[in-house]
Amino acid sequence: MSVENEMKRAAGKERPSSAWEISPPYGTKTVLVVIVVAIFMYFSGKNSEIDRMFYLLGEAAGNVVGLNESSQVVNGTQTIANAMFPLQFSEVTEVSRIENFDPEDLPMFARVETQEATTTVVDPATLAISKTVTERTVVYNPVGYLFHVVDKMIETIEIAIWATFFSIIISIPLAYYSSANYTPNRIVYGFARGIVSLFRAIPELISAMFLVLAFGFGPIAGILALAFHSAGFLGKFYAEDIENADKGPQEALRAVGVSKVKTLRYAVLPQVLPQYVAYNMYILDRNVRMATVIGIVGAGGIGQELKGRYDMFEYGHVATILVMIFITVFALDQIAGRIRSKLI
Amino acid sequence: MIRFDKISKSYPDGTTALRDISFEVPKGQFCVLLGHSGAGKSTILRLINGLVEPSDGDVSVDGTKIAPQTLQTVRRKVAMIHQEFNLSGRSSVATNVMTGALPDVPVLMSLLGWFPAAIRKKCCELVELVGLREEHLKRRASALSGGQQQRVGIARSLMLDPLVILADEPIASLDPSTSREVLGHLRKIARERDCTILCCLHQVELAKEFADRIVGIEGGRVVFDLVPKDVDDKTLRLIYKNYDDPAGEKTLMEANVDKALSPAIIPG
Ligand SMILES: Nc1ncnc2c1ncn2[C@@H]1O[C@H](COP(=O)(O)OP(=O)(O)O)[C@@H](O)[C@H]1O
Ligand SMILES: [Mg+2]
Repeated sequence: MSVENEMKRAAGKERPSSAWEISPPYGTKTVLVVIVVAIFMYFSGKNSEIDRMFYLLGEAAGNVVGLNESSQVVNGTQTIANAMFPLQFSEVTEVSRIENFDPEDLPMFARVETQEATTTVVDPATLAISKTVTERTVVYNPVGYLFHVVDKMIETIEIAIWATFFSIIISIPLAYYSSANYTPNRIVYGFARGIVSLFRAIPELISAMFLVLAFGFGPIAGILALAFHSAGFLGKFYAEDIENADKGPQEALRAVGVSKVKTLRYAVLPQVLPQYVAYNMYILDRNVRMATVIGIVGAGGIGQELKGRYDMFEYGHVATILVMIFITVFALDQIAGRIRSKLI
Repeated sequence: MIRFDKISKSYPDGTTALRDISFEVPKGQFCVLLGHSGAGKSTILRLINGLVEPSDGDVSVDGTKIAPQTLQTVRRKVAMIHQEFNLSGRSSVATNVMTGALPDVPVLMSLLGWFPAAIRKKCCELVELVGLREEHLKRRASALSGGQQQRVGIARSLMLDPLVILADEPIASLDPSTSREVLGHLRKIARERDCTILCCLHQVELAKEFADRIVGIEGGRVVFDLVPKDVDDKTLRLIYKNYDDPAGEKTLMEANVDKALSPAIIPG
């Protein structure tokens, strides 16, 4: 090819630089694309109520600076915010509901109190309304609910850790068979790729819904739903890294007749390991966040508690849960960042 | 030890790399292939351990003709040293050397990163043999200098006591004095173990200094096959078109630049 170029140049067939041109970055094609995108955005925006969104946001902004009287958004937000504070930490349990109650053996910080409860009774004969004051003994635990939430959060993190562990186990063979240079044949390759895509394609929340039907309420459904979905991600990431790994070390082992599995272990794994650890950390991080959500469909963890309290309008409890989730995700992010910087 | 019988090779994309090559390398010889980039040297080497299959003709090693059924047996006897060392940079020197013996390690054991005691012992001996020290064993391969890395490559190639060592431009990424050291080491070790070496080089001077025999390759053909003292400027012009570099250190890039600048070499 270079010889051809030289011959062309030698024969003087190339144009002088004064005749060269550099085409402008935008042309009619760009304008057309912009118009098409604009039309699409107009109709899609109507569908997705983008216009109403801006109207409501404008109204809310106007209300905040005092331009108009009422705003649906501001009112709603205020109601919720008022209901959320103060955060609910305490827990009250009636003694009569506790089996084998032993006043000497209370949980930490808890104390026994007598509370007065007023019950309104309507006499069916006279229809007279009378109020009776009953006394009941309760155990008042100022941090009881907080402890309960912490407990649920730990369960959530456990779900995430198990899910990540299983997803790693599932994705190793998937990655091996779905990387073009290690798969034994095209059929296995296609099959493995298909499974990986399928896993990724099913959202956790939806698979959790069905797994709850199969395994019942609780963490099993959550763990499986998260494990399969993240195995889809890990399988794809690992396979891509295996395919892109430096070929030199692999060829050196192939040249002396080392088998594929051993080549992968010694010529690919050391190369991709830091990246591999980073993926796993990311998946763990993601699984913790997702594990807080899947409880909403009954698949265990803090989401189940959140959904219960939300449905009963107990926003003080909801607020405690939300704060807990924020703290956990933030702390995990910090820890993950530190581990990552140590490993790479 | 190595026999090429009327070998031709065309790559799937239509490039003809070798045309009807026949030659033999006897046991224990240090044979250097000389030729500019693209002449077909790497293809010759890679035919010997089956990384490339011939389009026509036969290659045999130690009396065994290379075929799919015999490939594993042949590969066990043939080691290779690479231009870019091809070490696993993040692994330790010891692990890199021991991977040379991987065909002999049971699969499960190797997956756990465990090597039999005999292999570990041999690794230590070889690391010492190539002139590295105990402290290097634990170090990451990428933390070593180029010359040291190539020594690791040599140690790795010796793990299975090969009959043949193929060296594809083993010193192309090294500076001249390190090059001389590495080649010296390679030749000494080969002599002691009666290894046959087939080595591609660019440096004419080094080839003359270390080789028992120099084979000139150009356009996929053998253009000369001489003992080093018979290689003169005239023969060298057969492989480097306008060879006039008495120092013999002309690099491939300079050779190409010459080629591009000189209208005399345009065919036709
Ligand atoms: N895998 C390949 N596919 C197609 N052509 C190749 C391949 N490897 C080498 N070639 C071509 O074969 C010829 C000889 O290459 P090679 O043996 O690598 O030469 P050398 O090692 O002497 O530089 C060159 O023209 C090169 O472009
Ligand atoms: Mg080459």
